[in-house]
Amino acid sequence: MTGTMAIVGFGLSTIGPGVATGLVFAAYINGIARQPEARGLLQPIAFLGFALAEALALIGLVLAFVLK
Amino acid sequence: MLTETLLSGEFEPPSAADFQFAPIFGDSILFSKPVFLVALSVILIASFFIISARKAAIVPSRLQFAGEGVYSFVRNSIGQDVIGPEFMRFVPFLFTLFTFVLCNNLFGIIPFLQFPSMSRIGFPIALAVFTYVVYHYVGIKHHGLKKYVKDICFMPGVPKWIYVILTPVEFATYFIVRPATLSLRLFANMFAGHLLLLVFTLGGEHLLASTIFLKILSIFSFGFAVGLSFFEFGIECLQAYIFTLLTALYIAGALADEH
Amino acid sequence: MAVHDEGAFWSIFGYLLSGLVIWGGIGHFVDRWMGTHLFFPGGLLLGISSSFYLIWMRFIKAK
Repeated sequence: MTGTMAIVGFGLSTIGPGVATGLVFAAYINGIARQPEARGLLQPIAFLGFALAEALALIGLVLAFVLK
Repeated sequence: MLTETLLSGEFEPPSAADFQFAPIFGDSILFSKPVFLVALSVILIASFFIISARKAAIVPSRLQFAGEGVYSFVRNSIGQDVIGPEFMRFVPFLFTLFTFVLCNNLFGIIPFLQFPSMSRIGFPIALAVFTYVVYHYVGIKHHGLKKYVKDICFMPGVPKWIYVILTPVEFATYFIVRPATLSLRLFANMFAGHLLLLVFTLGGEHLLASTIFLKILSIFSFGFAVGLSFFEFGIECLQAYIFTLLTALYIAGALADEH
Repeated sequence: MAVHDEGAFWSIFGYLLSGLVIWGGIGHFVDRWMGTHLFFPGGLLLGISSSFYLIWMRFIKAK
């Protein structure tokens, strides 16, 4: 086996953001399905939640490339 | 440990080397399998739409119905919904892109061809370069070079000293990250999908060559390969759609009056 | 309208990625050049905060 443990760490670090993104989308779709007129209210919140979750995954990606 | 002793030989997992093909004739890499698949896709798409549109009638035949279905899907739900009133100019480009990517992706699960040519990074990069040139050209022609770059790089309503921090990020997003992610998304999906199918088919083949107990287990491996082929069909259609949709969104963003 | 949502989500992804890569990369090369270890984490923080600022201004405040 060759390779670095950093890649394994990146794989592990994507689990949390993956679940988080799924939860954000699930809540967003649920909210729109129940109350379509609330879309304008929900959209910024969904964007913010997605950005916060995705930032963690991308920090993991950058660190996996840099840390040896 | 148990499986290692049971298996007759060492299992060699599929790797990136499985995506390299020897030239079919001659020495040049230009005559290898992916290039032929791309050429075949052009012939297939062209002949399908020529045949389906040749005997166009008011009451469409089944073939004409299929061709018009694909066209109206691209025109209405990608072109018109995203780009807006000026969409008709871009429909030929979007339609070509969609059918080309879709056909080349579907080669991944068609028996005997079984290689998505978009899993070689060169083809998605070439398509992303097309998109890149088109949406910047459209934006520059619509706004003028100075205003277009200014709109991208300098966001209004921000204190002046913050531009030092924000402008590199905005510039990189529009000129580097967007085309790079556009091509990488398609490439990575096709590469991973083909690798996944290879793991199960090669694994099943390897199990079939060993003891009787593992021969029975190989049924599950082949069954997984067949099931994942249907899954891959969905992914391939979705990636063709997303590629075209993002192209349309970038064109719409370049045409919009404010970003 | 759902397609515009999807475009916005990919744009957010692009902003986050480019902020981290640009400022983290600058910090990384400054660290290599000066032989320090502080500029890379600082660059990452600056990058992520500038991305969040851009996302806030473009997608959340504008709504």
